[in-house]
Amino acid sequence: MMHTISSSAILLAIIRRDLTLALRRGSDTCGAIFFFVLVVSLFPLALGSETKLLQQIAPGVIWVAALLAVMLSLSRLFNDDFQDGVLEQLALSKCPLELIVFAKTIAHWCYTGCVLLLLSPILALQFNLPSQSIEVLFLALLIGTPCLSSIGSIGAALTVGIKSSGALISLLILPLLIPVLILGTLAVDAATNDLPYWLYLYLLIAMSLLASFFAPLASAAALRIVLD
Amino acid sequence: MLSTHELSCQRGRQQLWSHLNLSIAPGEIAFIKGANGSGKSSLLRILAGLSSPYDGEICWHGHDIRKCSDTYRAELLYIGHQTPLKHELSAIENLLSLTQLHGLQASLEEITKALSIWELQGKTIGLATKQLSQGQKQRVSLAQLSLLKKSVWILDEPFNSLDAAGSRILSQHLEEHLLTHKKMVVITSHVHENAAQIAASLSQIEQLIQF
Repeated sequence: MMHTISSSAILLAIIRRDLTLALRRGSDTCGAIFFFVLVVSLFPLALGSETKLLQQIAPGVIWVAALLAVMLSLSRLFNDDFQDGVLEQLALSKCPLELIVFAKTIAHWCYTGCVLLLLSPILALQFNLPSQSIEVLFLALLIGTPCLSSIGSIGAALTVGIKSSGALISLLILPLLIPVLILGTLAVDAATNDLPYWLYLYLLIAMSLLASFFAPLASAAALRIVLD
Repeated sequence: MLSTHELSCQRGRQQLWSHLNLSIAPGEIAFIKGANGSGKSSLLRILAGLSSPYDGEICWHGHDIRKCSDTYRAELLYIGHQTPLKHELSAIENLLSLTQLHGLQASLEEITKALSIWELQGKTIGLATKQLSQGQKQRVSLAQLSLLKKSVWILDEPFNSLDAAGSRILSQHLEEHLLTHKKMVVITSHVHENAAQIAASLSQIEQLIQF
């Protein structure tokens, strides 16, 4: 006989399902990651080996590449579920749509933000960053990438059902993500110049927490309008 | 008991239908007929609580479904005109995740059994669903009927792409749901033979709504 499961078990099941799907669609998922690795690796090659310059541009390049890579992967977040009718089933689930959106955002972070994060220390080596800056870069990405995924989910939800929604998502969402970009690069810059960097990280934490609380509410509202 | 009061539906500026009063008691089926674009699917989506009506209200045991959406959703199984399956997942994985959405954990045996009722077994149920035919996908999607014990079935064109054997299994399910379990069904179909088939098996169609 089937037994009932709690809402948290439903959310875990949704995360597991989305991660399985991301694995089976290997090439699509890797696209954004490859983009990130390529963009970040091309800069040191093109700019030569001037240590000072590379150290200065490193945080900006890595953050911009991470931002764009996340943008690239957002268009499929809800669109696939909308196309095959699964979104209707998600909306009719026992679990509130807001929590389901939250679960899908966590899954999205796992297969984009988290991977970028793990690759970033290796890529940062190409820029000759001191080890403390690499640590701060890692921390800033750890705190900032969930914010990218959650704010990005609003853009993905608003553009569900629109063909080639990628450009539109970027237009809608990039302005909202600029504070994350600025704080993230400032933190790493401060660490490189031996200045206090915790302030920037605290602000990033605040932004991430706020975004992960409010963004699912906004995304779920947008999805309900799309389904209506 | 599912009922609607003076329900009307508008798409853009066009009024599709209006003043729809419908009541479905336990053991009754509402069979909705109509031309393409007459608003059959819109009615089903409104009844499922996915879209909101332009005017009027839908009541579940006398309460507006917008106010008791949790209790209503717990009793509801809606299958739209698309098969809600992920192409990369197998039939078993798809059904597992669909039942989980309803807050139920099905075992592998239960899912295999439900699929075998729909004559899907062996290798087929382990393949990624993109390799299945449209009819097979429809059967996988309809296997939810055997798996989930829900009171209200809202089915949009469930006979689409089913062959004769598949249609027979679906009719048996409808018959059992209505006559044995005394539950409720709302169904659309543009294929007249299916209407005749259901009518024959149920001896009468309780309510026939023609747009």
